[in-house]
Amino acid sequence: MAHHETTHTEAHGHGEKKHFDTKPIWRTFWILLIITAIELIVGMFIAPHFHNLKLMFNILYIIFTGAKAFYIIAEFMHLGHEIKNMIMTIAVPALLFIWFIAAFLWDGNSYKNLRNNYDRYHKEATTTPLPKKAEAGHGEHSEHGAEEKPEAVH
Amino acid sequence: MAQAVPANQKWWGGGKSPFNVEYGKLMMWYFLMSDAFTFGAFLISYGTVRFSSNGWPDPNEVFKSFPGMGHANMPLVFVSVMTFILIMSSVTMVLAVGAGHMNDRKSVLKWLAWTIVGGAAFLGCQAWEWAHLHAEGAWWGRNPFHNFDGTEASTNFTNFFFTITGFHGFHVLSGVVINIIMFIMTYRGVFDRRGHYLMIEKAGLYWHFVDLVWVFVFTCFYLF
Amino acid sequence: MSNDALHGHPEVVTTHDAHHDEHHVHHHKETFITKYVFSQDHKMIAKQFLITGMVWAVLGGLMSVLFRLQLGYPDQAFPWLEDILGRWAKGGKISAENYYALVTMHGTVLVFFVLTGGLSGTFANFLIPLQIGARDMASPMMNMLSYWFFFGGSIVMVSSLFVQTGPFSGGWTAYPPLSALGDASPGSKVGMDLWITAMALFVVSSLLGGLNYVSTVLNMRTKGMSMTRMPLTMWALFFTAVLGILSFPVLLSGFILLLFDRHGGTSFYLSDIYIATTQQALPNEGGSAILFQHLFWFLGHPEVYIILLPAMGLSSEIISVNARKPIFGYMAMVGSMFAITILAFLVWAHHMFVTGLNPFLGSVFVLLTLLIAVPSAIKVFNWLTTIWKANIRFTPGMLFALGFVSLFISGGLTGIFLGNSTLDIHLHDTYFVIAHFHIVMGVSAFFGMFAGVYHWFPKMYGRFLNNTLAYIHFWVTLAGAYMIFWPMHYEGLAGMPRRYFDYSNWESFKQFAELNKFISTVAIIVFAVQLLFLFNFFYSIFKGRKVTTMNPWGATTLEWTTPIRPGHGNWVGEIPEVHRWAYDYSKDGRDFIPQTEPIGPNESHH
Repeated sequence: MAHHETTHTEAHGHGEKKHFDTKPIWRTFWILLIITAIELIVGMFIAPHFHNLKLMFNILYIIFTGAKAFYIIAEFMHLGHEIKNMIMTIAVPALLFIWFIAAFLWDGNSYKNLRNNYDRYHKEATTTPLPKKAEAGHGEHSEHGAEEKPEAVH
Repeated sequence: MAQAVPANQKWWGGGKSPFNVEYGKLMMWYFLMSDAFTFGAFLISYGTVRFSSNGWPDPNEVFKSFPGMGHANMPLVFVSVMTFILIMSSVTMVLAVGAGHMNDRKSVLKWLAWTIVGGAAFLGCQAWEWAHLHAEGAWWGRNPFHNFDGTEASTNFTNFFFTITGFHGFHVLSGVVINIIMFIMTYRGVFDRRGHYLMIEKAGLYWHFVDLVWVFVFTCFYLF
Repeated sequence: MSNDALHGHPEVVTTHDAHHDEHHVHHHKETFITKYVFSQDHKMIAKQFLITGMVWAVLGGLMSVLFRLQLGYPDQAFPWLEDILGRWAKGGKISAENYYALVTMHGTVLVFFVLTGGLSGTFANFLIPLQIGARDMASPMMNMLSYWFFFGGSIVMVSSLFVQTGPFSGGWTAYPPLSALGDASPGSKVGMDLWITAMALFVVSSLLGGLNYVSTVLNMRTKGMSMTRMPLTMWALFFTAVLGILSFPVLLSGFILLLFDRHGGTSFYLSDIYIATTQQALPNEGGSAILFQHLFWFLGHPEVYIILLPAMGLSSEIISVNARKPIFGYMAMVGSMFAITILAFLVWAHHMFVTGLNPFLGSVFVLLTLLIAVPSAIKVFNWLTTIWKANIRFTPGMLFALGFVSLFISGGLTGIFLGNSTLDIHLHDTYFVIAHFHIVMGVSAFFGMFAGVYHWFPKMYGRFLNNTLAYIHFWVTLAGAYMIFWPMHYEGLAGMPRRYFDYSNWESFKQFAELNKFISTVAIIVFAVQLLFLFNFFYSIFKGRKVTTMNPWGATTLEWTTPIRPGHGNWVGEIPEVHRWAYDYSKDGRDFIPQTEPIGPNESHH
């Protein structure tokens, strides 16, 4: 990034001959592509085998997503090269999302627990697996899915 | 990373933009901020309902199809292709904006055209995915998929999926329309007469925002 | 890279000047339509917002008079009501369904269409370019669209009054399932769809306006007008716009999900529902009605400050001008407004303590809510210190600004009661809440608005309002507001719930029958006095005493350096340069020093 900044200010200095540097763009493109590829591999081949580690994978996905968002905003949308104060006018309001997300999900989870505690019927209805034959009623897709699942291992 | 600011420049003294940008770009940024809260509210609502449910369908089960591959089990592959298309179109958009800075009309037209193609391709993919899911019996208020643990799922999985990807698709569609307008304006030489291609830059911001939102939609619906 | 195109200049000189000089050239060619209807002049748009807001205020106020009649005289029939309302008041008694419709529309109209559109729409449009020294808003076109979306929303909202099944009647908060199910009540049918449509148009209007206000304040300030030299009105309106930009979209999302629940067969907010009227159990499963409340209040709470901040800004300015003293603690005022803006987004669930919200989460919201008392108290302290030992000119504007401070204190104190989740178990949904929010954001914001209208009317129309009528207006409204809402605290403490049609069936509330009559009578009187104000307003536009000097109040700010009746473009020649902050009153032996005057060599620091 440091390298890029120098080229950028240099461009400032010359001013006259405008040259558009495509290198950082393609670099960003590769970063995004590689992150997406990693997500794909993890999501397709690794995560399905470790259901009890779901939370860990989700945290991983969040980190990847954050990284992708950062590169899109900083490079593609060029925010990283604006004046710092302008970056702050975007970044500070974005911080409101922290409490927005935390409080909503917290209360969502609490609502689940409340219902499970006080609505027995609800708990029973949503935690008892459907009988197997009911699943067949849903057509070929789910049947195939069940059969093919082991194959996904290779 | 921040732009090099000449020393003793009084940015906030009035009479000029404190951020060295014209007001249109500022407005576009703050509009996108606002729109981020719209999408944020959707995705957070989705999260809230998911957190308040005892079970939820497995995305690997739902999104496992690929066009022309029959019943092959290929979770995530198709949506990765869609993601690739969108990232690629973002790159072409940056190139169009860059060409605009050099007042290179031909290159602007070329890259805008590719961006429009990319947007259209993405919409096509989305249409296929929607049609496929619809054929499987999924729609607003209808959910044929079961939860991870084999329990019956509420309809909210499909409700949120169609609402949020639909809202995103609507943004892509309007982005494509904006880009087509930009293309026509560039073709007619409007920006050459104006002397600058700043309008392309604002359209570009919008287009990248669509890409940005997709990153979150991708994670929330296909990975989690 | 993005700025390559601009690299010629070290900074972006706002290309705006040139643009508006163009405007100036063909200024004289303006037709009636472009000048009064589809005007792009921020001053005309402000007046459009103000007058539309007034129409709304009369409608909304009239609604409250009608339902106060029911509350004060539950056993009496008023045959004339049937004459004017028709089927809404068969036999001279408003039916329960229509009573709820009136309450709902009263809330919606006054919160959104009067105190948001009418208040910040008017003063942000009118004052921002004038006080920061700009020819117009950054985008006059978007500004015009902002008004017309507001107008469109107004039309749709009014039209919902006339549909067969009546307007929405489930409360201005539109909680599902009442708002999501057409079968739930007559008002939940077409009326609710129109309500959502109108609100969506309103959100668009507020977004167009807000983006304009923010980028104008940031980008279009005249030379020398640094952010900390801006009058507090500018800061207040700036933060208001920020609040609107960030919170209204969340409401819009909530409404879109609500629309799907209404018409798309989804169950975002619905679960386990049995409708008594149709004797039907709904298949909806898995949704959460609390989710809507979260989304609604994520806007709803910032909305309170969207209403209050402009009133605070207007009052700060007017108090300082008429106290002939600099505002006390300028930076503290800015800082506390910033703190309020941030906190406004963190406290929404204090409206939901008893809805099934996690009590522990609720306690976090209690803490955050009570924090708001700090910046609020700072502001009150600064207002009081500004008038301390001042040589006050009691103009009507000043009286209303002081009235605002009084009401803000009275209403703010009860907010501390309600912010506690434990007290809220007793106080929620009672008249205590009604009293609290009417005083703190209803009447007080109205006082801020009146202060602004009285103070800037000379700038708007080049004439003064009649002072005698203004004093009558002020004293009756202030006394009336307290007489209406103060007793409601007692009713609320006694447990009298809000949103009931008739209290006479309850033994425990019979003691309040006479009090309710009293409140209703005062409400009618106060409403009548507002009509007096309207008369004063429209009469003075045409017949008021003419303004003869450019700066009738002896104020420092830039709007008073424009001609008495400024044209589109505001200043005839160059936009003046600014050399000092906006509050140099009674300094160095001078009554006031305008912002445009350069700092003298021997001048003392403020």
